[in-house]
Amino acid sequence: MIGGLWRGLAILVCDILKRALPAHLKDWGSAIRLETAGIESAAAALRFAAGGLCGLLPLILAHHMRRMVRSSGRASPSAGMTFHPRAVGIACAIGAVGLGLGYLAMAGAPGRYLGVNAGALVLGLCGLAAIRQAGATVRLRPGTMTLLLSVLLLATAVGGARVDDAARWVNLAGLFIQPSLVLLPLMILDFARSPNRRSTWGMILTAAALALQPDRAMAGMLAVGLAILAMRRPDDGHVSRALAGAIAGFATTLIQPDRLAATPYVERVFQSAFSLHPIAGMLVLAGAALLLVPAMVGGAHDQDNQDIHAVFAALWLVALVAAALGNYPTPIVGYGGSAVIGYVLSLAMLPKAAHARFLGTETLGAGNTTDATEHRLGCVALA
Amino acid sequence: MILAALLEVPGAWRHGYELAQLAGVKSGTLYPLLIRLEGQGYLEAEWRPPVEAGRPPRHAYRLTAAGIRFAQANPPAPEVAGNPREVTI
Repeated sequence: MIGGLWRGLAILVCDILKRALPAHLKDWGSAIRLETAGIESAAAALRFAAGGLCGLLPLILAHHMRRMVRSSGRASPSAGMTFHPRAVGIACAIGAVGLGLGYLAMAGAPGRYLGVNAGALVLGLCGLAAIRQAGATVRLRPGTMTLLLSVLLLATAVGGARVDDAARWVNLAGLFIQPSLVLLPLMILDFARSPNRRSTWGMILTAAALALQPDRAMAGMLAVGLAILAMRRPDDGHVSRALAGAIAGFATTLIQPDRLAATPYVERVFQSAFSLHPIAGMLVLAGAALLLVPAMVGGAHDQDNQDIHAVFAALWLVALVAAALGNYPTPIVGYGGSAVIGYVLSLAMLPKAAHARFLGTETLGAGNTTDATEHRLGCVALA
Repeated sequence: MILAALLEVPGAWRHGYELAQLAGVKSGTLYPLLIRLEGQGYLEAEWRPPVEAGRPPRHAYRLTAAGIRFAQANPPAPEVAGNPREVTI
């Protein structure tokens, strides 16, 4: 049973590796897959596949970064650089999950933990594709999604699975999922894109749900994300009202006891990884840093979506800081499918493609080109 | 160690898992090195027909003439006996 799971996971790792490899190296991915399939011991096969993925990861990341820079460089400055924040995010998610699997394997985590994280990545990518598809076919009024999802979080707080007085989970066929970790980043970013009365109520209900669960890490994520947005949009009444609700919710979680003990491989991962081995610690740190890369790249190049990139960075930074300071799940690099799915889904709110603005382009170019440039800069594909 | 393993029988084709075991390295070390060696012209890599019928072809590797010269010029470093820190004063 376990052997079959490990073998299946080994083949999954090989398939991910083959997909991620650049075209001229695909043969090497096929070679590793065939070698893996021929190894008798399932555990050895998984080690071989995972080792191949980890070893080739720097090469994969370097290739995609080079391609990104090349595609940017082909465009002339007056036409603006085109880059793909969502694709960068997907590459970072795959990289972070890979590094997390490396840590989990080094730490001796049960094989199914590795399977859950890898499976969650696949599920998240399918969910991301589904959101993209739904965005093209289903027409919801702005803010409706946030409002509906906030009701789901409220239902979790009221009727979800309880552990030590905390009600943060739902039981899906024996798998406990933390809906707030899956949905909250997506909801906050959706609110940042279209704050209105409906999504503001969604944020306030979410704050109430997190206060009831109670969950300081997620309530903190909501409050900090909205605070960043409020600083960037001080005149937006919707943002101010949502922030007031989020602060009240966060304050409520602070005055309630949080008695949850740390779970191995889930919480206190930063500390335990370095105690285990410096390389394990570095894997965890590198994986955590990767989570912030899409926002850093976007913040540096995508002048038209600075708010979205700033909020995205703040959300995942809060999740990492909470994991470092308290008994809260370590996103992506620790064991837990909810964070993996949540991170990948939140990428749906990053621009698919964006045209970067070069500072000073307007002053360098002829005066009559400015309008055309501004027009092009407005053509940012968020779908 | 990988070069030494490939040099053992210079014209023979080797497979990835076999090489990893011969050289005593992990796949994460083996494949990036093989890719680099191939890129530098020291290694031939090709899909070879299976030895047993019904099996898929396998990716196999052997050193090129330049690779053999390179491997002969770079033999594996002799293993240091004991912990070097024990002999420092």
